[in-house]
Amino acid sequence: MQAFNRNKWLLLASSAGVLALLVAAAVQENLLVEWRGIQAQAATPDGPLPVRLRQVVNPALGIADRCVSCHVAMAPGEESVTGASLAEHPAVVHDPSEFGCTVCHGGQGRATTKADAHGRVAFWPDPMLPVGMTEAGCGTCHAALGIPAREQLETARASLERGGCLACHRVDGRGGVTTPSTLASRGRRRTGDAGVPAPDLSRVGLTGYDPGWYSRHRQRAAADDTWQPFSADEGDRDNLDLYLSTRVGAPRLVAAKSVFHATGCLGCHKVNGVGGDAGPDLTRAGAKDPGRLDFSAVSGPRTLAAWFAEHVRAPAAVVAGSLMPAVNASADEIDALTFYTLSLRQRDVAGSYVPRDRVRVQRFGEREFTSDGATLFGAFCAGCHGREGQGFRVPGMVFPSIANPDFLAIAPDALITETIVRGRPGRRMQAWSAETTGLTPADVTTIVTYMRNRAGVPAPVDTRPPRWVRGDAALGERIYAASCAGCHGAKGEGGDGPALNNPVLQQLATDTYLTETVARGRRGTAMGGFLEPSTVRRTLAREEIEAVVTFIRSWGGRL
Amino acid sequence: MSGAENGPGLQQFLGNLRAAPRRFVDTMCRTGRPSTDRTRSGFVFGNVFLHLHSVRTHRWSLRWSTTAGLGLATLGAFLITLVTGVLLMFYYKPYPDVAYDSMKDIHFIVPTGRFVRNIHRWAANLMVVTVILHMARVFYTAAYRAPREFNWLVGMALLVMTLGLSFTGYLLPWDQLAYWAITIGANIAQSPREVTDALNITSVFDPGGLQRLLLLGSDTVGEEALIRFYLLHVMLLPLVAGALMAVHIWRIRKDGGLAKPADVDARLGPPPEGVYPVFTEAPAKTYHLAAIVRGRTPVVGHGPEQTVPSMPHLFYAELAVLMLTVFVCTALALVSDAPLKELANPLVPENPAKAPWYFLGLQELVAFSAFMGGIGIPTIVLAGLGLIPYLDREEAGTGVWFGGSGGWPLVRRSLVVGLAAALLIESIAIRFGWLREWFPEIPQLVITAINPGTILTLVYGWYSVWLVKRFQSTRAGALGLFTCFLCGFVVLTTIGTYFRGPNWEFFWSPADWPGH
Repeated sequence: MQAFNRNKWLLLASSAGVLALLVAAAVQENLLVEWRGIQAQAATPDGPLPVRLRQVVNPALGIADRCVSCHVAMAPGEESVTGASLAEHPAVVHDPSEFGCTVCHGGQGRATTKADAHGRVAFWPDPMLPVGMTEAGCGTCHAALGIPAREQLETARASLERGGCLACHRVDGRGGVTTPSTLASRGRRRTGDAGVPAPDLSRVGLTGYDPGWYSRHRQRAAADDTWQPFSADEGDRDNLDLYLSTRVGAPRLVAAKSVFHATGCLGCHKVNGVGGDAGPDLTRAGAKDPGRLDFSAVSGPRTLAAWFAEHVRAPAAVVAGSLMPAVNASADEIDALTFYTLSLRQRDVAGSYVPRDRVRVQRFGEREFTSDGATLFGAFCAGCHGREGQGFRVPGMVFPSIANPDFLAIAPDALITETIVRGRPGRRMQAWSAETTGLTPADVTTIVTYMRNRAGVPAPVDTRPPRWVRGDAALGERIYAASCAGCHGAKGEGGDGPALNNPVLQQLATDTYLTETVARGRRGTAMGGFLEPSTVRRTLAREEIEAVVTFIRSWGGRL
Repeated sequence: MSGAENGPGLQQFLGNLRAAPRRFVDTMCRTGRPSTDRTRSGFVFGNVFLHLHSVRTHRWSLRWSTTAGLGLATLGAFLITLVTGVLLMFYYKPYPDVAYDSMKDIHFIVPTGRFVRNIHRWAANLMVVTVILHMARVFYTAAYRAPREFNWLVGMALLVMTLGLSFTGYLLPWDQLAYWAITIGANIAQSPREVTDALNITSVFDPGGLQRLLLLGSDTVGEEALIRFYLLHVMLLPLVAGALMAVHIWRIRKDGGLAKPADVDARLGPPPEGVYPVFTEAPAKTYHLAAIVRGRTPVVGHGPEQTVPSMPHLFYAELAVLMLTVFVCTALALVSDAPLKELANPLVPENPAKAPWYFLGLQELVAFSAFMGGIGIPTIVLAGLGLIPYLDREEAGTGVWFGGSGGWPLVRRSLVVGLAAALLIESIAIRFGWLREWFPEIPQLVITAINPGTILTLVYGWYSVWLVKRFQSTRAGALGLFTCFLCGFVVLTTIGTYFRGPNWEFFWSPADWPGH
């Protein structure tokens, strides 16, 4: 029967087809696997390397990293693998056979093909960190503490170079070329013995060191003619201590962090609970999924690093509606900022793996930067007020110059301190309380002292009470309307000039501060001194100035 | 040892040993080796699985144009998912996050795990497609008519089971796709709230919330939902579906085989020479069993004319369809990977979050009115489909494609009407918005009652009633309505799948979606 035969043939053909497909699948899934080929070419001194899936599993870290199936020379327990196309892992503190690969490098540990494992595929949120930015992976668990702002770090580094330490010590892969003999081996030195190498200082910030190192160096130098004569003044020694405390095995990350803390990003962004509220919290910014970002304004590779770099260069172009000002930064600085942001990739690990520095940040509120005035100013203020405190203005936004000597000369410390702590409602200046921003009262005092020291302007001495002006308000109103309202607004609401009816300003500013500001003006701004003779504006007498201040005070307390 | 020393006991033993394989086959087959038509019939009749078939099959049923093998393909897809599903269960761990890791392990290191998962996924999708096509075949050949009304209902239950199996499996990978698709699905289950909210009685009477809670086991998609879906997917639904399939197939036999046109002899012509199989011995005995069956059994009173032994004719056809299904699934599995997106993250909603494709027509309706899309219209559709065999009591055209009043011309016209109505109403809603955009203050209940979904349903219903009057035939109305239903399903599903982007807005292409 025809139908019967047709069905028989159809069954035969489809069975043969299924068989062929199954064989093809079995071959493809089991034999034509990348890592098998790689392992087949590798060998050990005992003969060919057995081909099997290799992995590092650590439930406490939540990893099952099969990277070592290809990077077989890095596989735990494999020594002297030859012929492998991929190199061995350099010596690191964290044993890869315990920590695996993805905790530090990112990528997809469970994957067994290159594109998937390196995470450069759709729907994998954590691609590998780019080459050269591997240290950003340290941020997965660590928060290196006490990093100074960039200038301090560079000064400290200069001290290290000047002191000649690198002649004997290795630091971050440099130096350590000479090996002076020790006292004990002095006799053998002359016979060509290489002596004992000086300790590598690259991780001395983690391990700690003898605080009496300087005097001991001096003693040895005096007793042993193979030691370099060595002297450093106290400032240099402080710098060296600062520099050594930052040697935690991640020099590029530390440098990047110092740039971040000099750029004032914390003025708007929080990291680990420290910083302002205007911008998004960056604590986990490095863990962003590049697959969910808008790359339409970013040229080049669709990586998180490229996105961050372009975002720093032109914030509003990358994120529509962003209020972040474009950071005036060099290419190197943008690299550093990108690098640091990438390192903000905290992930949850078992308690036994949480390092001490992270605990100190999260439980004890320690900060990742030093508490000197320059660093604090760089971290919190420089973003809006400029690196020199010079301020800047963009259309629609004015950031006052707080380093202006005219301002510092008449503004009492209490005014500046309170302005920082309470902020300026209605303006971008937020309240910097210790609880919400991590900036303590002691820090505020440090910042104010730093500003004064740098400008060389001492705090004004004002013996008068905060409110002493008793002028003619009606006269003041007339003068205000004629001379002040143009910039400060008819009701003191502000315009080109600052708002004068701001309740916090009204409360904090003393009468002396207000009268002196009107009298002397502020150089570098549109505010001229009204006491001084001028061809472009009316000159006011002291009584008239007091009348204006009296009028301005009539808005006071209006919260 | 010489031959003389072999006692009769040992010879008997050796003889038995030699005969063991033959006896094994004989005993397995119970009525002997299936080598003649008679013993083959006995074999089919005496085998617990094969006896779901009758021992002889009508030549009409063996024609490919009768069924296109769609029901069998559905069964085949089910069996494939059963086998591959059991394999996957060896590695799958039904717990949030761990589930995702186990999916990655299946994909990357379980030998052929990725391939097995791909087959499972393709077979599941194929099953949804073939079950719908199978239903369409049964409808268009009017095979639901007496005495097969109840089997049509069993088939509808199997349709629901198939969708349920597929839907519960969707969550298990625990990736973003799964998580948000199930969230959407659960929200569809919650849709009665639209009405209870509008009536302000949700706090005392909340069937929608209860449905969602029963589905998820908690307020959000979480570990309770996962274990619940897992249990449904691997145990409850397969058992129920399997039992229903047994009933469904058994009823085919009991209801007299596949539906045949009344003039089937004339259509088939005489059987070709030499292949007309006759019973080799005592044919009268064959129908002993049928003769004692009481009631209206369709085979009683008919002789074995135009039938051939099921074994091997039917079985080759069946095996061919099953193997073809396996071939399609494995071929697709080899070239296309089952999707696996990022780990499920309740804090990062997918936008657009889409339900599985076969529910995107519903989601399209839900976008207009949650209650109507999620409950109202599906209930109307299911009730309408279930009523068809009880309303259509005609006999003309049974067993013939597009049989009955109107025939193919009517179906063709209904295709035009169904597509045009669905496209028109969708175009209006997409281009001009709907009542909420025109009258922002309008009560929600009005929109629940008047929205593109209900209007489309009304248009289809009215068209079908008009057909009943015009042709003086329920079958004509049914043909129109079913065709319109298929058109609506295709149009809505296509729009939901390909033309809806973030916030369920209309886009010609995903390339136009904002942000990328």
